Amino acid sequence: MIGARRDDGVTLEPPSANEPLLKVEDLSIEYRVGAGTFQAVRDVSFELYPGRVLGIVGETGCGKSTLAHAIPRLLPEPPAKIRSGKIIYQGVDLAQVPKWKIPRVRGTGVGMVFQEPINSLNPSFRIYSQVVESIRVRRMRDAGKMPSFQPGPQAFDYSRRPQLSTAEAMAHPLTPVLPSGIRDRGPPPIPKQLREEVLEALRLVRINDPETILGLYPHELSGGMRQRVMIAMALSQRPTLLIADEPTSALDVTIQAQVLSLMKELMEEVKTSILFISHDLGVIAEMADEVGVMYAGHLVELGPVDEVFGHPGHPYTRALLDSVPTRYKDDGPLPSLGGNVPNLSRLPPGCPFHTRCPIAEAPCSVSPGPLLEILPGRPPGIQHRAACLYPERVEARP
Amino acid sequence: MPAAIPTEEEASPLPDLPPPTPAPVVVRSPRAPWSSAVIGFLRVMRANPLTLAGFVLVVIICVSAIVVAAVPPLTQLLLGHALAATPYDPNMPTAALHQGPSFAHWFGTDELGRDMFSLVLAALPLDLAIGLSVTGFALIVGSGLGLVAGFWDKPRTLGGAVSTVIMRVTDVFLAFPSLVLALAVAATLGRSIFTTVLAVMVTWWPYYVRLTRGEVLAVKNLPYVTAARASGVSEVRILFRHVLRNILEPLTIYYTLDVGTVLVTFSTLSFVGVTGSITTPEWGQQVEFYQGLLPFYPWTVLAPGLAIFVTCLAFSLLGDGLRDILDPRSRRALIQAAQPSTLPAEVPAVAARGGGGAGA
Repeated sequence: MIGARRDDGVTLEPPSANEPLLKVEDLSIEYRVGAGTFQAVRDVSFELYPGRVLGIVGETGCGKSTLAHAIPRLLPEPPAKIRSGKIIYQGVDLAQVPKWKIPRVRGTGVGMVFQEPINSLNPSFRIYSQVVESIRVRRMRDAGKMPSFQPGPQAFDYSRRPQLSTAEAMAHPLTPVLPSGIRDRGPPPIPKQLREEVLEALRLVRINDPETILGLYPHELSGGMRQRVMIAMALSQRPTLLIADEPTSALDVTIQAQVLSLMKELMEEVKTSILFISHDLGVIAEMADEVGVMYAGHLVELGPVDEVFGHPGHPYTRALLDSVPTRYKDDGPLPSLGGNVPNLSRLPPGCPFHTRCPIAEAPCSVSPGPLLEILPGRPPGIQHRAACLYPERVEARP
Repeated sequence: MPAAIPTEEEASPLPDLPPPTPAPVVVRSPRAPWSSAVIGFLRVMRANPLTLAGFVLVVIICVSAIVVAAVPPLTQLLLGHALAATPYDPNMPTAALHQGPSFAHWFGTDELGRDMFSLVLAALPLDLAIGLSVTGFALIVGSGLGLVAGFWDKPRTLGGAVSTVIMRVTDVFLAFPSLVLALAVAATLGRSIFTTVLAVMVTWWPYYVRLTRGEVLAVKNLPYVTAARASGVSEVRILFRHVLRNILEPLTIYYTLDVGTVLVTFSTLSFVGVTGSITTPEWGQQVEFYQGLLPFYPWTVLAPGLAIFVTCLAFSLLGDGLRDILDPRSRRALIQAAQPSTLPAEVPAVAARGGGGAGA
């Protein structure tokens, strides 16, 4: 048995252009806290096609992080519970896979990059040790010493148009500046071949002097560096799907731009697709091919990023876009919506947004609008859908 | 935010950029990987005189214990006579009995003319072994149970049930004062040093269960544990590599401080008399044996008492300073404090120190 590839009967389908890599269907997740039940995610459906970036945008508490953590089943269960729905990743429904088998798809299948890089790196280990940990998982799975879902051949062409900003980032790689008092700790005690692999992973994320970085502790790195190390760790496992949960929120704007262009560039090299969670519309506009807008646990709009931001089909998207300051004109205070986000344990009947909606009518308070195509008849992958009964009344942006 | 969206001007082709600068060549001296840890340790020691004192005392105590236990001829050579066996001469002049401390007899002599220093030294290996083994047993058993109870504690699962059982049994043990419980167990098992050690062991592990479980609960939901889980690392490996490694610091400190406490407890038990006869030298028994002489020849009681006190103090000082050595952040801050440079000290490193030694 040792040495042979462990087969647990689950074979993943290879990514292809027409089949979504990840298909979430009517996913509902609730938190049971004490006597109350909070509907964090409700009837969310979307598809992510290989080689693309799907952005999920929404305000704090709208359920986007819950959604991100639910896909590799990282939510603590209880209190969280997937009440209904499917998470179909390469033809396998992760919501139905027994919990003890789930770790096999994590890392090499579904990788994750988290929000706060300082907390996501183990403070007790040096960088090389943490990168080795990730590489070790992939190596052991490749060698069949650790069970994993069998991945299909990577037939899909992941190449994208190179970005100009990426070239800029590459030309000026970050040079680590050692804080005072840190000495060079010498080469790490790992085999040379493994060390080369670690160095390669760090060079992939454009760290200029990985030899020095190897011997440092996480608290000795800058925020941008830490996030690069996190990305390097996730990508060193060659994940088919990378979930980035607000990876740039803790970084300042210039580092943010560098990290974003880096991730876009690396998608092609590593052959991965990204589910990108953010509350920042600008980040989503730069990063994503498609965008889903979430409000109070519902996915209210989904479509190509230009269309959604240019011609929003849902009044909430419109209100969200209006709240972004522009630098071209100054016409008084930014518009804001009246009222508050509804309590997730007592959602109003009908559309969750109708209590605050400027164009709501009587039918809106009866039944929630399904995610309908605004312009029907388009092929899957570029459809623009909104959960609004009157998408034509939502004004296009000037 | 607007800076993240490139405008038309920004998106125009860039002028020719200079070629990327090559990475600077770092010349490394051939050093063993652990040498930096040793250097850091020595620097921290220099910055903390009390820790240094504790460390030196612990080293002296341990080395003497090993020498006394393992190399009797060397002890004999150093003392001038066999350990704990000052030759008893019935015709000894009366002046040789109960002498005060002098250069010849550092701790004086007892009413039979025996050298108190030799007696105290003879008891050292046994007492040190008791202190280390009882805490070691408690550390292994108690922390092992605490790890299991803290890590798999989800209600309505097998792990949750095991965790509940472990914690309730621990509560039962903690409900009794440990000294009274140990006394009861030792008295039941019979009067000997071995049974007393066994009794202290039985009562000592529950504290470690509590401590470890609390630390595990604090660490196991931190983002880096979730991140490790997200990268496919197995649960057992997460437990040992990510959780245990990060709670090792409070455990080590508690263990070190505890060696002295065990010593005092054991001495108390043997002072009360549960360890039986005086044939084996032991500090608590010696205090009990000579207590009648306290008003007349106080050094006979003070010598073993001082031995207990100094051993406790040494381990306490060392344990107190260990936190600064084990946490890489505070280690760096200390090194910087010891070596004032022209550069300003790292503010985050100093600030992080307060949160570093949680639970100690």
